[in-house]
Amino acid sequence: MTTCRVFRPLYLWAAVVLTTTTIALAYVNEAISMALEAATPYVKEGFSVREDNWSGETEEGKPLLIRHQLFRGNEYWFWAGTSYEKQPVRVDVFDGNGKPVAIENFQRGYFAGARVLPDRTATYFVRVTVGNAQKKQKQTIDWGLVYGYR
Amino acid sequence: MKSPFSLSLSLFGIMAISAYANEVEPLDLASFPGELINEVVVPVPAEIFTVLDKLGEPNWEEAIVEQPKSESQDRRQIALQFGCLIADGFVAVQAKSPAEIQTIGRRVLNLSESLGLASSVRPHCLSIIEAAGDKDWNRVRRELDLTELTVRETMKELRDDELSNLVSLGGWLRGTQVVTQVVATSYSNDKAELLNQPGLINHFEGLVSAMSQKPNAPSFLRKLSTGLADMNDVIQANAPLNPDQILQVQQLSAEMLEQFYL
Repeated sequence: MTTCRVFRPLYLWAAVVLTTTTIALAYVNEAISMALEAATPYVKEGFSVREDNWSGETEEGKPLLIRHQLFRGNEYWFWAGTSYEKQPVRVDVFDGNGKPVAIENFQRGYFAGARVLPDRTATYFVRVTVGNAQKKQKQTIDWGLVYGYR
Repeated sequence: MKSPFSLSLSLFGIMAISAYANEVEPLDLASFPGELINEVVVPVPAEIFTVLDKLGEPNWEEAIVEQPKSESQDRRQIALQFGCLIADGFVAVQAKSPAEIQTIGRRVLNLSESLGLASSVRPHCLSIIEAAGDKDWNRVRRELDLTELTVRETMKELRDDELSNLVSLGGWLRGTQVVTQVVATSYSNDKAELLNQPGLINHFEGLVSAMSQKPNAPSFLRKLSTGLADMNDVIQANAPLNPDQILQVQQLSAEMLEQFYL
């Protein structure tokens, strides 16, 4: 039938899009899973991890910045992750003037973390960097960020 | 004079930050080479309530209100109410009131039915009710957070970012009103500083202002836009807010909530 011939390419296109989207989502979820894995030991120390999270794909080494309201009196940990092997992950936190404020950070395998004890209640900036900015041929890498407070 | 709370935080903070600050270059916000994720992270009310608990023993039961039965058919109004109801769930957790949490859990389900999201929200509501019965407060907080996230994400998937943002606004507004109530009852600089949230107010004011300028925007959105602008003027003035300014913010948030919730 004519209708079938016309729509066959559309079916194929839809299948390709669906498959690609599923793969992309799998990667994004994996980045969040890595970030949550980094968070796990801290839950035992009394940190409440927000269910909300931030994720996506970015060019290797390109930093991402997220604005965040923090409250003096709370202690925060930010954890970032990627599903890409051997890609350095880093989290830094800055105040509204661009001054670094994290008091502790770590990088380990697929994830990294930064701890903050805000000295004032205000808007802060969380910077996530995944991959090496010095590489000539850059690939697209997934990233995910979660945070906890106590 | 700084309180012991302030001093201990400051001393520990200064010692630790000075060690770390040597390793990281300051951030030049004017010429940031990367991507600025275009949103402000809106905290859950529990984040600010946790600090209030450290600063004293607020009477959370006083902050519990009888939630109105929703009569509205306007999805924007229902989204705002939904956010408020989640915030009230967090208040009920602070008050450790299983009965109140269970009532809120059932109301959350009713509102999600009005939004056509009952199937996604039902498992969380059932968990809220069950965890409240077990007095498992951490689990209740986690499920309230998950419920709000589920609704906002589902709305985004349906390309309804406006409703998703209104859920966040409702929660923030009700949370702010409760915080002002607690701070007004026993004022201190440490408590008042918690309302230093200019980034969040700018974010919400911009969103609601754009919505209220659309043709046929309902009157409650225009009143919300005016209220947020007035609140922005008070909060931008200085930090921490003085007792009179706390009362002003409390009054403004109550007036805005009366448009759709209280």
